[in-house]
Amino acid sequence: MPINTDIQAVDDIFQEGKVVDGFVLGKEVHRGGMASLFSATKEGIDVPILLKIPRVGRDQPVESLIGFETELTILRSLKSPYVPQYLGSGNMATRPYIAMERVEGRPLEDYIKEGKVFTIDEVVRIGADLAQAVQSLHSQDAIHLDVKPENILIDERGKLTLIDFGLSHHARYPDLLAEEMRKGIGSAPYISPEQVAGIRSDSRSDIFSIGVIMYELLTGELPFGNPQTMSGLRKRMWAEPFPPRAIRREIPRWLQEVVLRCLEPRAADRYQGAARLRQVLRDPEGVTLTERAERVEPPSFWENLKGMFKAAGYEPSPSPRPSMGNLDAPLMIAAIDTRQSDEALRERMQITAKNLLQAYPESRLICLSTIASTPTYEGNHESQTASGIVRGHLVQLMEWAKPLKLPPERISYHVLEALDPASRIVEFAKDNDASLILIGASHKLPNKVTPWRTSMTKIVEEAPCSVHIVRT
Amino acid sequence: MTERIGLFADLHSNLEAFDSCMARAEELGVTRMVFLGDLVGYNADPVALLERIATLVENKKAIAVLGNHDEAVFKDSRNQMNASANAAIEWTKSQLNNDHIDFLKNLPLMVQEDQICFVHASAYNPAEWNYITDSMSAWRCVQSSGKNYTFVGHAHEQALFYQSAVGKLIRFAPHPGDEIPVLPHRQWVGVVGSLGQPRDGNPEACFAVFEPASESLTFHRTPYDHYTAAEKVRRAGLPEDLANRLITGK
Repeated sequence: MPINTDIQAVDDIFQEGKVVDGFVLGKEVHRGGMASLFSATKEGIDVPILLKIPRVGRDQPVESLIGFETELTILRSLKSPYVPQYLGSGNMATRPYIAMERVEGRPLEDYIKEGKVFTIDEVVRIGADLAQAVQSLHSQDAIHLDVKPENILIDERGKLTLIDFGLSHHARYPDLLAEEMRKGIGSAPYISPEQVAGIRSDSRSDIFSIGVIMYELLTGELPFGNPQTMSGLRKRMWAEPFPPRAIRREIPRWLQEVVLRCLEPRAADRYQGAARLRQVLRDPEGVTLTERAERVEPPSFWENLKGMFKAAGYEPSPSPRPSMGNLDAPLMIAAIDTRQSDEALRERMQITAKNLLQAYPESRLICLSTIASTPTYEGNHESQTASGIVRGHLVQLMEWAKPLKLPPERISYHVLEALDPASRIVEFAKDNDASLILIGASHKLPNKVTPWRTSMTKIVEEAPCSVHIVRT
Repeated sequence: MTERIGLFADLHSNLEAFDSCMARAEELGVTRMVFLGDLVGYNADPVALLERIATLVENKKAIAVLGNHDEAVFKDSRNQMNASANAAIEWTKSQLNNDHIDFLKNLPLMVQEDQICFVHASAYNPAEWNYITDSMSAWRCVQSSGKNYTFVGHAHEQALFYQSAVGKLIRFAPHPGDEIPVLPHRQWVGVVGSLGQPRDGNPEACFAVFEPASESLTFHRTPYDHYTAAEKVRRAGLPEDLANRLITGK
């Protein structure tokens, strides 16, 4: 069964002068392909109100309905000075509308259309403000995904507001646009390469869009044009944009560096968080200049060709959770030998872990143990099966960590299968970008050198991070 | 008073988790309870749990449907379960009296209301206990239920399947405590997660609350004294591994 879009025409319900759920409708201020906007008032609400009514009904595209539902879900959940305040909504089946604060200001698009020439300082300020606005979304696990001049309102004092969340993504709600048939929904000039590839969960897509906007404001041109075909859209997966300084000489090198870095095809090569982007725009001293800053010539035929080959296997970088982009909470690993029982050492390690965790309130702890290997034979008793054995070790790790009294979001447990425990622990630390490995060294060593001891040496030598050795 | 439906599945004789979730549900203003099957099995308190649920059902405060572990108490289904599960069923049988067994025997497989379907595993051939784990199994389920909302258990991990623009059902991993708008022009399948034996690595008990008036669904996780529940499993002589599952949540 396809989605039921048989919602009655909304034109009869929403007319000037009519009252819907206490909202008194004023003039229709805008009518677009997807929605109409009415001004409104309501007793008890003292900010100007805007009612957004989707164009739904038998003869309307299904996208306007999904966009409406998406915007409703996300706008309702956001709290940000850079987003219109949500004020209410109507039943989707009978009288669909979203009531929101009517924000002062004109779309950035209007200024561009009027042919306004932006000074370097103006562009830097708009870029920094945009980064801050976008950061306020990312920190709430939302990604705008349609940042473009039309969706940016600027008021007389220069304060900026992001509008239209019909294409947005929120990590904590079902993505109604996921697996949509058409890939690369959004506005052709501004969407990121990963959006072209159909990925909707990468917060660094918004950073790409900010890069496009800054480029446009600086040069009056779009870095990748306004393509209307899929192959045209794919160009941004490999093409190097024409260097802005080749168009406008007065652009400082550092700013070209920043803009071109935002426009990198691979998200992992851009600024990883909007807060970082804002920081470099506010403090250009901190920008490290690379060859990006020096480009003055358009990319050569050969460079473009190289890029095209690279794009043939375009692999979008994995998307981190939006709110994680700006966290530098250290991750610690406690390597616990669940096979030996040295009470004194155990206690000493627990105390050390506790102290370290207290020193870094944002830190997380992973309790790790390695086992030789699990049997492939699946016995009749759960305790003999692979999962049963692993669970047995997990229980020991949990018992170990119990006195630390950490909330679940700060601790996790892993039992790794490994013939060479040291290498596996080092590899795990690398994969998880750990800051510290905590290991215990017992003085109650048996006569021969135990494997654990050589393991310890190996971890110290090969670890990608600090190693803290606890002794009794 | 707005109706708030508390949804609880795979309770598995875990009294500590049950009491903790009931207390939390009361705080959340739950007006009606639905027990989505597998009331017994695995853990150590089948009698106390069944008696509490039977009272709620008798007082019209709750409805309950049948799960495969409940069925195993009165029907031979040894071939369908692993050794620990079978051992727990044998032990459970030894604890229950005829009234308890009659209560289980009389549970319906499925309850259909105006817009909602309640069933333990899937509305598609409910007696076959199909798991809803992917797009296809969720699609079969909504095809059979025909309702906007289908709430199930059986798969122990919380998930929400929603209908996309192309009709396909997509899996979403909900975040506990977030109120998710579930508008009735699409079809939804909520897998509410296990109350009595969570398996996603987090020992906290799972349940969900659906509010029809506001068209919203919230998944919850509630901590409870899982060490005591595990200790009871050990003391009852049930397989050690079942106690470990409660402690690790795996």
